[in-house]
Amino acid sequence: MPEISYLEAIRQALWQEMKRDERVFLLGEDIGRYGGAFGLTHDMLDEFGPERVRETPISEATIVATAIGASLLGMRPVAEIMFMDFVTLALDQIANQAAKMHFMFGGRTTVPIVIRMPGGSGSGAASQHSQSLESVLMHFPGLKVVNPSTPYDAKGLMLASIRDPNPVCFIEHKVLYKTKGEVPEGDYTIPIGIAEIKRAGRDITVVANNIMVMKTLNVAEKLSKDGIEVEVIDPRTLLPLDTETIINSVARTCRLLVVHEACLTGGWAGEVIACVVGSPAFDYIDAPVRRLGGKDIPIPYNRGLEKFAIPQEADIEQEIRALVEGKI
Amino acid sequence: MPVPFIMPKFDMDQEKATIISWSKKEGDLVKFDETVLTVETEKVAIDVPAPASGILAGILYKDGDVVPVTKVIAYILKEGESIADLPKADSPTLPSKPEAAPVLQTTVAAQAASVNATPVALRMAKEEGVDLSKVLASGDKITREDVQHYIEEQKKPAAHVTLPATPAARRISLETGIPLEAVAGSGPRGRVQSADVLAKANSVPSSVTTINGREAEVVPLNSIRRTIAERMQKSFQESPHIALAVDVDMTEIENTRKRFNIQAEKFGQPRITITALMIKIVAWALVRNPYINASFNGDSILLWKDVNIGVATAVPQGLVVPVLKGVDQLGVSEINMRLSELADKARENKLKLENVQGGTFTISNLGMFGIRQFRAVINPPESAILAVGSVVRRPIVVDEQDRVEVRPMLSLTLSADHRVIDGIVAAQFLSDLAAGLESPNLLLF
Repeated sequence: MPEISYLEAIRQALWQEMKRDERVFLLGEDIGRYGGAFGLTHDMLDEFGPERVRETPISEATIVATAIGASLLGMRPVAEIMFMDFVTLALDQIANQAAKMHFMFGGRTTVPIVIRMPGGSGSGAASQHSQSLESVLMHFPGLKVVNPSTPYDAKGLMLASIRDPNPVCFIEHKVLYKTKGEVPEGDYTIPIGIAEIKRAGRDITVVANNIMVMKTLNVAEKLSKDGIEVEVIDPRTLLPLDTETIINSVARTCRLLVVHEACLTGGWAGEVIACVVGSPAFDYIDAPVRRLGGKDIPIPYNRGLEKFAIPQEADIEQEIRALVEGKI
Repeated sequence: MPVPFIMPKFDMDQEKATIISWSKKEGDLVKFDETVLTVETEKVAIDVPAPASGILAGILYKDGDVVPVTKVIAYILKEGESIADLPKADSPTLPSKPEAAPVLQTTVAAQAASVNATPVALRMAKEEGVDLSKVLASGDKITREDVQHYIEEQKKPAAHVTLPATPAARRISLETGIPLEAVAGSGPRGRVQSADVLAKANSVPSSVTTINGREAEVVPLNSIRRTIAERMQKSFQESPHIALAVDVDMTEIENTRKRFNIQAEKFGQPRITITALMIKIVAWALVRNPYINASFNGDSILLWKDVNIGVATAVPQGLVVPVLKGVDQLGVSEINMRLSELADKARENKLKLENVQGGTFTISNLGMFGIRQFRAVINPPESAILAVGSVVRRPIVVDEQDRVEVRPMLSLTLSADHRVIDGIVAAQFLSDLAAGLESPNLLLF
């Protein structure tokens, strides 16, 4: 299987789906001649032309509103919000229009749009270009929130998102763009709403998303040399959340830690924990149920401080050790 | 109120237990944690300790009764209490009395007529097994809230509500019947964790005593130890043991094992153990010698149609003998897989009753400790047991010309019950067994 980057995997999915389905088109800022802020759409303008790779003014509300309108008339737009932070400008369109239409029109209308948005810190892009706002989007029923951590998941989930009949917020991670992994060249989809156990283990379940999956897997590898076997679960989709996989895992490992880069307060870790402790897995919990999240501060521009703002591998390791060894 | 004594749940999937015997009787003084009765679960015999100190009263089930777990089986009366204080439905059993459960239901049904309660309260009382005559009504009728309040009040005295313990530790405490108060918590601030309860469950309390000025550690018998003691003494007293030994050249069977392992690897199966091959050949020899696969039955001998071979296995608590059923019908690779499953279950203490019953012959192996040869005690009601020593490479004469070669040699010793098996029958079996091990091709004949 060819090894390609996370960025290339998403580009490949877009490219292949635009070849397969002429209703699919892209719109966003600088996605044409410039090839996108991260180069994800490079050469796509030449291949598909300005009708299908549409450059827009700097107005996220317009981008999403245009996508919604086009989708209502039978198109399958993939909109790009250059930095996830700017999703706030489009939130009325996403939350009050896209997410509600299927419900308010009695199921007779669908809104098949995908809104791509790279989030996350680690690139020195400062407070307004580094946030992880997935928890915000999880609060609007009618939306799907997809959040892949590997190139393989990114392509399969992108194809599934474009084919989904209703709005999908597709959250990418800037630092993951360069990570590589095996990705089939052909067409495949990963069902939305299904978590994956990225590593099996008996001592503790760690639920993590996007870049935290990679960090947790590194920690798990290290801890396994000390006899601590960590089970790493990547929800892949945050809304709807695959609580069954997580609950079953905790019933086996008896311990739970949730790790995300998003700010701790109001973060989705609380949602996972509430689901688990309210489930039959409660009677199997043998240590405090804990979460690690970003500090409740705007992400600093200073690279050293930026690191301190979100969980690092050493933090994850320390937390897991304390839980497994019964020290918390 | 008298303390209800419930049938504890020892195992996650356990539904009932059989009372083997009460070691205390109605009216006896019992101490907290003292053994009051012994029950048999699907696995083994287990001693059940008293939940409190006091006088044992209102025994509801007798020896041999099968009781669903968590059912009240008796009460402990505290100072100043008498039989009159026992809940009415659960008054002491007469020998002819059926199970207590229907009695309770009748009582609840009867309450409907006599107690002034709302239908919801009645249903709730029935579901929760609450005696409505004890529930105080807040208005003119007993309501759902009143029953709920009563249930909550009943739950309150349990001290472990305030004891720091993880949910998993609480669950295991309930399942094993070990009170959390009796467990030292190893977690932060003394929090009881599941491992603490499990350690308590597996520990055998011991103490030191002095007899005639000499100190000795007293190790109370756990249920496995007690079973072993009883069965072995019975065996040695009742069946006259004879023992015969034979030396076997293991060259061929080792070669066979190597060939089998090439196959096993090809099919992605686990490696074949020498024990699996040994069991197969023992089964073959048993079919040819039915008196070895037999039981003494007073005025007759039972020649068993099935060949069910037990394999004595050491576990932390003592010795268990998981049984492989219908071995003569199984291939070596199947025997190998079942054997490893049973051994895993034995180590994890997960053997079910059906895994340890119905044996017709037993194999005991101490070869791994370098024991050349030993005699084993027959596992009743079986009539013979094979003791397997270690395979030792040593020089032996291999032909008529007195040529000496080094061969892997194994010593097998059969202990047989002379009531069933004469020396010559035992000798024939051992000779067949040796032939089968030295020329495994014979099994194809």
